[in-house]
Amino acid sequence: MSNEKTFYHEYEIFSKRTPSSAFQHQFSLLAPNEEMALIMAQENFMRREPVADIWIVNRKHIKRMNAEEKLTLGRLENKEYRTTKGYGYLKKKWRQYEQEMLDEKEILSWGGERK
Amino acid sequence: MASFNTISEDNQLTNFMQRIEAGEKIEADDWMPEDYRQTLIKLISMHGMSEIMGALPEKEWVPKAPSLYRKLGIMAKVQDEMGHGQLLLRVTEDLLKPYNKNRADLMQDLFNGDLKFHNVFHMETKTWADAGIIGWLVDGAAIITQTDMLKASYGPYARALQRICAEEVFHAQHGESIIMALAEGTDQQKAMIQEALNRWWEPLLMFFGPASKETTGSSKQDLTIKYKIRTKTNEEFRQIFFDKYIPRIISLGLTIPDPTLRYDKDSNLWTYQQPDWNEFKKIIKNQGQRSEARLNLRRHSYEYNSWVRDALSANIS
Repeated sequence: MSNEKTFYHEYEIFSKRTPSSAFQHQFSLLAPNEEMALIMAQENFMRREPVADIWIVNRKHIKRMNAEEKLTLGRLENKEYRTTKGYGYLKKKWRQYEQEMLDEKEILSWGGERK
Repeated sequence: MASFNTISEDNQLTNFMQRIEAGEKIEADDWMPEDYRQTLIKLISMHGMSEIMGALPEKEWVPKAPSLYRKLGIMAKVQDEMGHGQLLLRVTEDLLKPYNKNRADLMQDLFNGDLKFHNVFHMETKTWADAGIIGWLVDGAAIITQTDMLKASYGPYARALQRICAEEVFHAQHGESIIMALAEGTDQQKAMIQEALNRWWEPLLMFFGPASKETTGSSKQDLTIKYKIRTKTNEEFRQIFFDKYIPRIISLGLTIPDPTLRYDKDSNLWTYQQPDWNEFKKIIKNQGQRSEARLNLRRHSYEYNSWVRDALSANIS
């Protein structure tokens, strides 16, 4: 076949298991167009697991990081002021005032009914 | 700071080995030494093509499977194997980019004999018990080698294997279920599994490859271990297979067709009759029982379906 080299496009496939979950990368596949990619994605990656939505992304539309750029991602471990770790001493403080600390676990549990 | 691309090859290699030693994953567009790339291409393209070459004869069992439930089970397995082939060819294609090669080239390599497929898929299958033995023991053997590579240094392969191994568990149990039904069946059914086991014992030993490169003149096992693609030698895999499956085979009342087989308590190793490695050498030259027939199935399917590729390519761009 003469157009063998240009026939396939590379697609990256993302899907989510339930309507409320986040999209997750599954894998890549080759397909001649998006419609076929969608069929292939279901055939290749969703034979058993529940699935609520699928994204098909042509790889050429993805901005990737090269090795040099990835080196800039390292973090210095001096950012305690950004995390709850830097405020852990408050637990002891609140105890002096006979109060429980409102920690992450407690705060994130507040969404439901008033207890 | 010097640009990353100007770092010398020696430094690149040192940096690469440090990353591997630290348990980091290498990705498709990272720098990698040539022999690492070549080893991965050979390993993963063979793995991928073998999935497909195994699925083609296995699908022939669908009409012959003894019940609707069995037909559905083996059809699901065939579909999985094709899916595994797709994943693994994808991983290989990304590695082939610097050579400007793609899937069509891999297909040609298979057809002209440059790309091998696993020895077990060159063998003839005779009865439904063969289908059971393949699912139980051939997939069992494959699980042993594949789970060892779940932590492979090459990220895309490790991720593909995560998906593949999860489904292989179903394949092994599907095979066990077929074997269990026959083992608890009539004398004729019991005889069927024994005959199938007799046929498949040698191919199963060969599945892991020779213990050293002296047998066939080359082996990639040292490189794959050095580069942390896998952790064990061919012989270590074979011994694990013995540990796991010999007691189970015997418990079903089957006889392993090797009177010399025994477990040596001092060395903790099984001693066994070596398979005919000359036969293995013939198989890897595509001169096995069914090598040409299986290749023809693939050639036929590729040519017969070419109209689909033609029709679809007319609409794009």
